[in-house]
Amino acid sequence: MMRTIEVLLVIIIITAAFIISSFFAVLPQPREVSPLNLRRLALTTLQTLDRDYDLSQIVFKPIDDPSWSELQIALAATLPPNVIYNLTVYEVSSDGAILYSPIKSISNAESLGIESEASSYLVASSNVTFNVVPEKIGEKGGGGTLYILNCSDANGWWITGYTAQSLAQDLYNLLSPYFQITIMIQNTAQLAQVLNGTALQNEVLQNAVIINTFGEAVPIPSGYYATQGNDSQHASYAKYCYILGQKVRYFNWTWVSIVGYPLYYVSNMGLFTGPNDQNTWGIYGMKLVGPAGLNAFLDGLDDKEYGNWWWDRSDNVWKYDNDWITGDLDDDPRLASVQLSSEALYYCNYYGIYPSFYHTATRALPSWINSTYHLNVTSYILNTVDGWIPGAVYRHYSPSDSNFTGALFALGLTRTPDIRLTALGILSDYKPRLYRSEYTAYGTSRFVVLQLGLVGGI
Amino acid sequence: MAGSTIDHLVSVTAFLAAILIFISLFNQILQTAAMYQRHRSLAMKCSDLLDNMLLSPGIPSDWGQTNVTPTGFGLQDPEFTQYRLSAFSLMRLLSSVGAPVYYPKTNQWYSNVTVGFGNFLLTSFSEAINYSTASRLLGINGTYGFQLTITPIVTLSISEIQSKEPLRIAVNVTGRGFPLANAAVSYCFLTVDLKGAYPAYKTTYGTVYTDEKGSTLLEFSEITKEDTSYALIAYAQLSGLIGVGYHQRVSSTGQYVMPFVDNIAEGRVIIAHSWDVHGGDNPAEIAYNATFVLLAEDFTLREVPLGADKVDKVNYGEGQPYKNVTIPTHNPGILVITYKKSAVEGGVIMMPWGISAMAFPVVFGEDPSGKEWVATDIRQVIVNDIAYQATLALWSLEGYQVIR
Repeated sequence: MMRTIEVLLVIIIITAAFIISSFFAVLPQPREVSPLNLRRLALTTLQTLDRDYDLSQIVFKPIDDPSWSELQIALAATLPPNVIYNLTVYEVSSDGAILYSPIKSISNAESLGIESEASSYLVASSNVTFNVVPEKIGEKGGGGTLYILNCSDANGWWITGYTAQSLAQDLYNLLSPYFQITIMIQNTAQLAQVLNGTALQNEVLQNAVIINTFGEAVPIPSGYYATQGNDSQHASYAKYCYILGQKVRYFNWTWVSIVGYPLYYVSNMGLFTGPNDQNTWGIYGMKLVGPAGLNAFLDGLDDKEYGNWWWDRSDNVWKYDNDWITGDLDDDPRLASVQLSSEALYYCNYYGIYPSFYHTATRALPSWINSTYHLNVTSYILNTVDGWIPGAVYRHYSPSDSNFTGALFALGLTRTPDIRLTALGILSDYKPRLYRSEYTAYGTSRFVVLQLGLVGGI
Repeated sequence: MAGSTIDHLVSVTAFLAAILIFISLFNQILQTAAMYQRHRSLAMKCSDLLDNMLLSPGIPSDWGQTNVTPTGFGLQDPEFTQYRLSAFSLMRLLSSVGAPVYYPKTNQWYSNVTVGFGNFLLTSFSEAINYSTASRLLGINGTYGFQLTITPIVTLSISEIQSKEPLRIAVNVTGRGFPLANAAVSYCFLTVDLKGAYPAYKTTYGTVYTDEKGSTLLEFSEITKEDTSYALIAYAQLSGLIGVGYHQRVSSTGQYVMPFVDNIAEGRVIIAHSWDVHGGDNPAEIAYNATFVLLAEDFTLREVPLGADKVDKVNYGEGQPYKNVTIPTHNPGILVITYKKSAVEGGVIMMPWGISAMAFPVVFGEDPSGKEWVATDIRQVIVNDIAYQATLALWSLEGYQVIR
């Protein structure tokens, strides 16, 4: 009898355990098991209503405007009949105590039941313009002058399809908001003034950026044509390029070459008027300098002696330093498709400049120039390919104190140029900040919350 | 001794019976909980899968406008973000509701999204993406079944109230759950002219507003005969919602022309004689005049030139080739073809180029009826400015049941 009583006790204990566990093991309501994603439905409903900015316009209208009832009709028509809603519009303020204050609410039910889902949507007034104010380069630390070569008396090369003047105008539009002052150098006489250290509009010459929009050619002023920039012994204007390098170092300029082989020709339509003063492709008013131009420029930048010429017996010509130093597809086929660097991609989004991701580099500079000429790459615009640098900003440093003295930004790409890359490279290197006006400014934004529930609650 | 044995037997029996009962009860709870969990998981999968379809353009992103079979399935319009779908990707989905149409002269079957007489959308099977391909591309082949339904949110029901002097047409505009009161209804009214060798049409435009019931009445006093063929295309707009409706009356329903989408990438549409598709009495040669129109922002229709092949004749039977027109754009629009069988018999048929142009619905996938447990989810989407609702029904193919 005792065992039966014990078993009965066990049954009572198990029954109690079952009842207690059943009490805690509450199964969800059937509607919760396979629910509609009401949050997504609310969001997509708001997006649909704002398809043509209709919602953005209505929520800024007075609360007795008939548009509100149209909005309610549209909302009711959009949602399935078994969905109940509450749409509330809030004013967004930043004046202290209350951040969101309700303005108007429309609903088709007194209550949304025990459980509901909501999505929010921030809309901006169509009457408000949100400004982005860029930090000016040179605001702190001096400089901040942008020179764009727009010389009317020079011709460009490897800018096929454009003129230097049209490129200059586009660069002005893109970059002038970021600089203290932007000056278009209209002719070679003005270029001579700048090279001689004379300001054109009381600007600061030191730490300026000079963009050569003439592609592989560079305008040459008359003062450098006859003797100063002309190496008569070797019949070359590499001397002018050497002086440019010196000036870049002296004034701590950033010299920008937008495409191709930098400083490959010199151009002045008023001076080079002979029948042979052309680039062999029918563009007159220019003289070939060849690879000696860049080599001499780098010598000038690094404060080396000018004149490392040597006679090439096989070609029967004078050559300067290492002669041709850039790499093309024969050196590495991967240069046919070089890609934007991760740093450049980041700044694409930051500054809203979106050049193509892929480019072809046929004039990529070798990485050994960094050690030879005391250069530091401060910004890679395009990814390097096995020792070839398709596009980067090289800053020259003084071996004695490591201070930067002059820079070269070379985009060794094939024609035609994409000046968005030029703008992106300069901005990536100087990194001016963008100050955006706030969306929380009073009266400029409203916050719309759409809360949805199902008929009958849960 | 006997007493203790009986006591032992009774207690053991009672204990075993109680244990079996409680195991069964606990098992019941655990089974139901596991089943609930699986159903919840199915609902979440449904929501995720719907977003996958709607928020990705697929690979390649322009597959809707080409003839290639995509390697990734997605319906988003590649030129937009968010829930905006490509009208052409939707056009390439093999419809699971309309009976496929066989056209002997091309020896091909066509996916059928026809909405009543005169409103055709027949896409070649060779161009269409079928359910198994989509299922495989989505990675759910053999594990889940689905049906995707894209239906317009705003519906315009158009019916003829009075046939002539004046022609009266009632337009009712409704949403998913409510009539659209005070909606602007912009319409284009096309009347077919059968006088010349080839049919032509005239258009008139207008805008009216719906009353509190979402209804409005259109009157056309220029229609004085019952056999005058016409077509009405109407657009209703209210607070960002746009819907499309259409209605036509023809004097020849026995013999007409049928457009078949032959090549989406090249925009080639076959103009076929209806007798070649489903026979009929007294067949005759049919003259037609094709026009492609785009909807402008002011809800007027703008004609896009179609070239010399827009006007021609098509005959029936063997040895009589079908004709072609080439639509020169991948902007959604409507191909309007007026046809003429005789001096008094003719009509007009329309075909959307991109499903949104005439707010055609799309039903793609298997039928969910009879499945054990079907999870559904809904999104509001935009297809070329027309508001649609996308519904996905999803069920498991792994064989579990609600009640074992």
